[in-house]
Amino acid sequence: MSYKIAVVGDQDTVTGFALAGATYSHIHTAREETLAKLNEFFASGEIGLVLITHRIAEELGFDFRQMLRTKRLPPLVLRIPDKTGYMPKVDELREIIKRTVGAEIMIKKEGG
Amino acid sequence: MSADRIIKLELSRLNLHLPERRLSLKEALSSPRPQVAARDGSMHVFKREELKFLAGLLPEADRDKLQLPILIAMEPKLGRVTARISGEVEVKVVSRVLEKEGAAGELLIYRPEVAILRRKLPTTTQYLFMW
Amino acid sequence: MAVALAVAPTRMELLKLKQRLGLAQKGYDLLKEKMDALVIEFFEVLRRIQEARAKALEQLSVAHRALSMCFAIVGTLETKQASREAKRELQVEISTRHIMGVAVPAVEVGDVERNVLIRGYGLHMTSSVLDEASKEFERALKLLIELAELEESAFAVAREFEKTKRRVNALDYILIPRLKETIKFIMMRLDEMERENFSRLKRIKAILEEHD
Repeated sequence: MSYKIAVVGDQDTVTGFALAGATYSHIHTAREETLAKLNEFFASGEIGLVLITHRIAEELGFDFRQMLRTKRLPPLVLRIPDKTGYMPKVDELREIIKRTVGAEIMIKKEGG
Repeated sequence: MSADRIIKLELSRLNLHLPERRLSLKEALSSPRPQVAARDGSMHVFKREELKFLAGLLPEADRDKLQLPILIAMEPKLGRVTARISGEVEVKVVSRVLEKEGAAGELLIYRPEVAILRRKLPTTTQYLFMW
Repeated sequence: MAVALAVAPTRMELLKLKQRLGLAQKGYDLLKEKMDALVIEFFEVLRRIQEARAKALEQLSVAHRALSMCFAIVGTLETKQASREAKRELQVEISTRHIMGVAVPAVEVGDVERNVLIRGYGLHMTSSVLDEASKEFERALKLLIELAELEESAFAVAREFEKTKRRVNALDYILIPRLKETIKFIMMRLDEMERENFSRLKRIKAILEEHD
């Protein structure tokens, strides 16, 4: 099935991805508004991928994480850095690795 | 006792990702869309590059003997670090992929080798849980 | 400390319990194997994510630099205008595939990189700086789509792993100890009952012999 792309971010992020072909966008200003827009995106059935900046995702906090836990695929959701390159100290995947193996593991680059 | 029912349910789910009927390498290569129907109803597609890779490791004559997906058998009685490959041609080809020796018809491989096998042949190998 | 189950201390019950213990242990062993397989799959996806992330984030920062340059040279308003005029209909094909029975997304996308004509912002806006910015973002978008597929797959496999781990722990810490405790208790009771029976029979025999 075919789906469109949505972007939630600051002006730069939104402009950039719009130039690349993203159909829907939302420039974040107020928390409640952005959460409502995200709900709209998730419910639409038309959107396959939502790009959202780490900065905004962090600001949205628990409510956003809750949405991620309960949503169905599609849409896929990917958190990305904005133009400042900001990424949170806590990497969700790293947290999962710790839970999975009970220890911090560095994955070595392998030759084969 | 509902705990028992949950256990039985989990056990029955273990191998649902496997197909009812496997496809030979020859059949897969000649099909425009090589795939098998898994027991849970999903279609499992074989990647052509893997099929070609496997074909390159075997003589023509063996290609209709190799059954896909190749099953990596995880059995508790083998211990947790070991898995088993069965079948003459399957053993032959896996031995070549892993560059190790295999005794006729059966090959025991260790966890790191399972990881290598899964990385090189993600769609043409599958886990089989046996007891 | 395991609490024994409330069952009548009979041989029937003992047999049933031993069967249940066998099932629980089989379940435990096999689910542990499943956990092992899930870990192998998870780390493979993780390995691919590391590669994909590095490439995608590098490209994204290149794209942002190109965009900043575009804002500076062409102007912010003009750039925003171009982004509104551009064709914004990029489609992704999403289907489901399975890793070891875990449903994960498979995402396909056609050509993300377009030429100026297809991109569609008015020809009056032609500017190589704008084209650069657009192209770099198109490249970034393609890499990010691949990354999204991998990250969602990793989360799905991890969820299944945690679910399996919970079952394994329930068996290991609750059900199996309880069954063992109950079996022990019943065997003790059956032993006791047999000894009581035996000594009763001895007393009866003694009484009968007295009468002879």
